[in-house]
Amino acid sequence: MTNITDEKTLPFTLEEVDKDGAIAEAHETLERFADSRASFLKKAALATGGVIGGGAALGALASPAGAATSGDVAILNYALTLEYLEAAFYTEAGRMGVLNGPLAQFARVVGQHERAHVAALKKALGSAAVASPTFDFKGTTEDATAFRQTAQVLEDTGVMAYAGQAPRVASNAVLAAALAIHTVEARHASWIRHLNDAPPAPRAFDQPRSMEQVLAAVGRTGFITRAPQTTMPGGSPRFTG
Amino acid sequence: MPEHLTLETVDVDGTVRQAYEDLPSSTRRGLLQRGLVAGGAVAAAGVTIGGLPKLAIGAPGPAQDTKILNFALTLEYLEAEFYTRATASGALSGELAEFSRIVGAHERAHVAFLKKALGAKAVAKPTFDFKGTTENQAKFAATAQVLEDTGVAAYNGQGANVTKPILAAAASIVSVEARHAAWIRDINRKLPAPVAFDQAKTQQQILSAVTATGFIQG
Repeated sequence: MTNITDEKTLPFTLEEVDKDGAIAEAHETLERFADSRASFLKKAALATGGVIGGGAALGALASPAGAATSGDVAILNYALTLEYLEAAFYTEAGRMGVLNGPLAQFARVVGQHERAHVAALKKALGSAAVASPTFDFKGTTEDATAFRQTAQVLEDTGVMAYAGQAPRVASNAVLAAALAIHTVEARHASWIRHLNDAPPAPRAFDQPRSMEQVLAAVGRTGFITRAPQTTMPGGSPRFTG
Repeated sequence: MPEHLTLETVDVDGTVRQAYEDLPSSTRRGLLQRGLVAGGAVAAAGVTIGGLPKLAIGAPGPAQDTKILNFALTLEYLEAEFYTRATASGALSGELAEFSRIVGAHERAHVAFLKKALGAKAVAKPTFDFKGTTENQAKFAATAQVLEDTGVAAYNGQGANVTKPILAAAASIVSVEARHAAWIRDINRKLPAPVAFDQAKTQQQILSAVTATGFIQG
């Protein structure tokens, strides 16, 4: 039996996960990331006339009935960037071979999901898809304890990020996809929390976070070492390990 | 055992077959400003099938929000009552007891939130018969898994049918249902996240599944 209480809260933050002092350079990374993304998204919206092609099917999900607005393109690219990060994190952790038992299964299954989310979002965005950033996970994929703590924060952050964007989505097709992914992220968060002996569902209502809040938190980790490169559409995550 | 249980397969022995406080203030304000308490009292005591409000889906608007919120409220009544009775029965021990206690508190909070949002238009709580599933650990565990997975599918199926302020509130609830689902699945030694994309279900699909359990007496 795990020791689960209502009172127990997340014992660390994204900031604390980053233990090797790379936070000092993270603000700079965030600014580069944010600047590049802002200009990219503006260009993407202009280049596509604010519209995704009618064939923007989201994987095996909803029918792509509605064309996405420029706002939806920005939201989808934001989601894609977060999914790139998660997918790269689990893929790299799997390759490091330091995980065993239930934790290894978690990384394997969740890694598959995150890669499927990346593929669906890229397909939906088509030529408007942002390329993957370059990542440095600062050893968190090479140590089981650091991995499990980081995974919990990443998944909880994913839940808050999707919750923050759902009411901002215009297209019903995009919304259906976002909701289908949102609850899977919540399942991941609950799963890793259970493995970590933390409360899987710590409160009755999950809190949304804005794009700015999430990007700032991600920026502070220093995990993103180079902003998405707009000259390399469709690029794959590259690994640091 | 099938990886994906359905409400029908939960009932291993055939009996079923017979048979606010935590929300962001901006969301709360949005709900209040929408004046959910005003407008046509469509679903208040309206047509029900198996105790669930019947929906006819059109474009999002205040009247449709009321119907869908009452649909959600009925599902939350069911979950809340299920866990409240299971905990009261004393049949649960170990982590299942902890699960029921915590998740029950969440579902009761969801009920309170939805009732507050609906005001005078909130449907009354149905009467329930859980067919012994609250008094037996194995049945409780299997039923809880199906109820939580169903809750996720039900909320996700209504996302496009509600106005944005309601969607914001629903988004804060649905991920908690998904956390519950993953938690009970892990306890049940099932994959907590069995697919990369959770499937939504329509109101009619949910209605049929819940009605088939016979849990709602009316």
